[in-house]
Amino acid sequence: MADLANILAVGILLGGTYALVSVGLNLIFGVIRVVNFAQGEFVMLGMYGAYAAYAVLGLDPAVALLVVLPALFVLGAALQRLVLARLRTEPTMQIFATFGLLMLIENAVLAATRGTAYSVPSAVAQASLSVGGVQVGASRLLALAAATLAAAGLGLFLRRTMLGRAIRAVAQDSAAARLMGVDVERIYWLTFGIGTALAGLAGCLLAPIYSLSPQIGTSFILPAFAVVVLGGLGSVLGAYVGGFIVGLTEAFAGYYLDPALKHAVLFAVFIGVLIVRPSGLFGQVGAEEVGLREQS
Amino acid sequence: MSTILTVEGVTAGYGDATVLFDVSCTVAAGEIVAVVGANGAGKTTLLSAIAGLVPARAGRITFRGEDITGRPAHWRPGHGLALVAEGGRLFPFMTVEENLLLGAYAPRGRAILKERLEEVMAVFPILRERREQAAGKLSGGERQMVAIARALMCRPDLLMLDEPSVGLSPLMVGRVFEIVERLARRDGLTVILVEQNVTEALAVADRAYVLDHGHITRAGAAAVLRGEREIQEAYMGV
Amino acid sequence: MSNPEMAIPITRAPPVAAATAARAPLRTFWGELPRALLLLAGLAALVYAASGDNFSLNILASSFLFAGLASAWNIIGGFGGQFSLAHSVFFAVGAYTTANLYLKLGLSPWLGLVPAFLLAAAVAMLVSWPVFRLRGPFFAIATMAFTEVALAIGNYAEWLTGGTRGLSIPFRLGVGNMIFRDRMSYALLMLGFCALTLIVVVAVHRSRLGYYLQAVRDNEQAARASGVSVLRVKLTGMAISAGLTGIGGGLFFMQVRVADPAALLSLFDFGVKFALIALIGGLGSVYGPVLGALVIIPLESWLRAELGGLLPGANLIVLSLLLIGAALFMKHGIVGLGRGLAARVAAGRSTGDRA
Repeated sequence: MADLANILAVGILLGGTYALVSVGLNLIFGVIRVVNFAQGEFVMLGMYGAYAAYAVLGLDPAVALLVVLPALFVLGAALQRLVLARLRTEPTMQIFATFGLLMLIENAVLAATRGTAYSVPSAVAQASLSVGGVQVGASRLLALAAATLAAAGLGLFLRRTMLGRAIRAVAQDSAAARLMGVDVERIYWLTFGIGTALAGLAGCLLAPIYSLSPQIGTSFILPAFAVVVLGGLGSVLGAYVGGFIVGLTEAFAGYYLDPALKHAVLFAVFIGVLIVRPSGLFGQVGAEEVGLREQS
Repeated sequence: MSTILTVEGVTAGYGDATVLFDVSCTVAAGEIVAVVGANGAGKTTLLSAIAGLVPARAGRITFRGEDITGRPAHWRPGHGLALVAEGGRLFPFMTVEENLLLGAYAPRGRAILKERLEEVMAVFPILRERREQAAGKLSGGERQMVAIARALMCRPDLLMLDEPSVGLSPLMVGRVFEIVERLARRDGLTVILVEQNVTEALAVADRAYVLDHGHITRAGAAAVLRGEREIQEAYMGV
Repeated sequence: MSNPEMAIPITRAPPVAAATAARAPLRTFWGELPRALLLLAGLAALVYAASGDNFSLNILASSFLFAGLASAWNIIGGFGGQFSLAHSVFFAVGAYTTANLYLKLGLSPWLGLVPAFLLAAAVAMLVSWPVFRLRGPFFAIATMAFTEVALAIGNYAEWLTGGTRGLSIPFRLGVGNMIFRDRMSYALLMLGFCALTLIVVVAVHRSRLGYYLQAVRDNEQAARASGVSVLRVKLTGMAISAGLTGIGGGLFFMQVRVADPAALLSLFDFGVKFALIALIGGLGSVYGPVLGALVIIPLESWLRAELGGLLPGANLIVLSLLLIGAALFMKHGIVGLGRGLAARVAAGRSTGDRA
């Protein structure tokens, strides 16, 4: 029983991590219909940004957010405006370009850090709490809280503000949105920037938990993708819940099977869901774009 | 009556195909102009060109004295030009109220949002009933009402309607045209009405243009065109 | 700024055919073969010209290998428009099949290439069947996920791959063992592989399969509506593509004789490189990948020599910039540039009054 509680705890905390990483990716998918292969790299940049803020300014990661988030928003928005906007009608070239960005960012950081491994201390990192008899790292708990806040905040923004509604409108029918007076191109780079800033948020908060390496980005992109497809495109709630589904799956797979195979299990589950329920678990806007509704 | 819209020699199309060939027409303030023609004649393309969704490859569009040919589509609602696309094109996963709020997205609409919402709900009582419903769940007629209401949120000077009667029951069609007439006659709204339902369109319009394979073939007062044999045979099933 | 894509009408104009290859004059396989053979003869001449220069021979060998691998990828990625990031897996499957059959059963690697082809093709079909329903980038990510899974399995299955320590083939000279002392033999071996893939590519391109693949790429819905069995077309294209990639893997392993799963399954070193070369050369064209390889591989070798020492990953930075730049400005690759140039020259000649 204690084992089960432990697994659940690991799963939920991991889920919080994935939810945090995926919310931004989901927004970008849902609105711009672009698969941002480089999303994991923005998480990595958030981590290194937290480190830089610590090394140069002595800031705790939670405070470094104030610098890292705007920086990654600007970077993401600029990339969309300058690179991706030109490829709106070229989905194959979008894959090449975003994958190129993945390679570029990863190797740029590799070159800049020359492969030195860094770690970021945090006021919270050493602490751990006891929840229902299970030891829980405070950093992970903080990540979970942040994921919930971010998802809630994003949800509120999308539902209650004019700009948020405009973003949802673009996701549902961009031509009609234009007719409402919405500058769709502006919404694209704004949304992309928000998505990358959210990735940066995840990176900042996860910096104390993971040891930094330029390659860490790619270990996030795949579970994030699974989260988004399982949870439903364009659905903030779906991304949030999907994160937990993936986290729990990984936790259980890691415990009952070999930890080395947990991604394999995840992939198998993911494929299984696709075969059994082609519209994903929440079946939202844009599922046709994914091809989920098609039968061969 | 002054001219509010001038379309001069506009050629437009999609990809390699040209749909409109050197089309010209004018609309005077306060009148209802119908554009009729068969399926594929280019009626929707014409409205899309005026709305800025499709670039004009040649020609000019002038609105209230200003050349708007190069302006992006999203400039229009803020400056008095609104389009109700075919089928309404509501945002399916948003509520009726949210759709209306989006209608007021442009600064022109936001300034008058609260009062406009009330005014529009007065014209279309159905909006109040279905306020919280997802737009995707409405019936065809209800959707058309919401779409027109949404387009009115910015208090446009010129309203364009693309086949508002499609898929609607005769009763609903009558209601829609009744509202259109009221908006024009009583409130001074200028209307361009694109229709396949030529009978109804000519009944409510002041003037009409006939579009055939991308060319304007006839133009004149609706009353006159109504009586013409060719029109009756070609379009009105007589 | 408005854009036809944003136009309202529900029925849009059909997408403008993107394949430059589809606009090429219709030639049969036998009609096209002489051109392919001429190219191969030219490449063979390069090999003989470099005789004695081991450095150049190595680069040529590597270029030919990647020319073949990129050509193979191009069958499903270029003609078929299915962006696969799983080809490093098929590469690895071929490599391990050949290696294990040689090490454990003493089967000559030459013969071992056949099971390599078959197994790689089988794995590819099995894995892509459930994910072919996914479109474009989502298919790409699913294949990327599969590569990661394969890495985990590869590290785990030590009996097959030697785990993280890797597998090694002892140095025992002999044509039968596909192990040579001189570099020229390897260059010729890889040229042979390039020739094999090029001929298969020409055959596919001029066949009904090639036609269907491009139809599916350009407009899957329309293709399905015309009665094309979309899934079968995709699977067939994938099988041929993966099988050839598997052969390449087998040859590669016999050349380097030492490899671990991480190396073989590396996206940057193999998976994405096949796609990059195809793009630079000309996505969906017949000769593009070969030309692309002849440009990229020597360039990469030079980059690694000049920059690799300076900064780790610097050569990959240049490659990624190339990738982004090509996607933005050169989407039809070298072949596209060549065609554009030829068209302009022809236009100038016909109007007669161009300076």
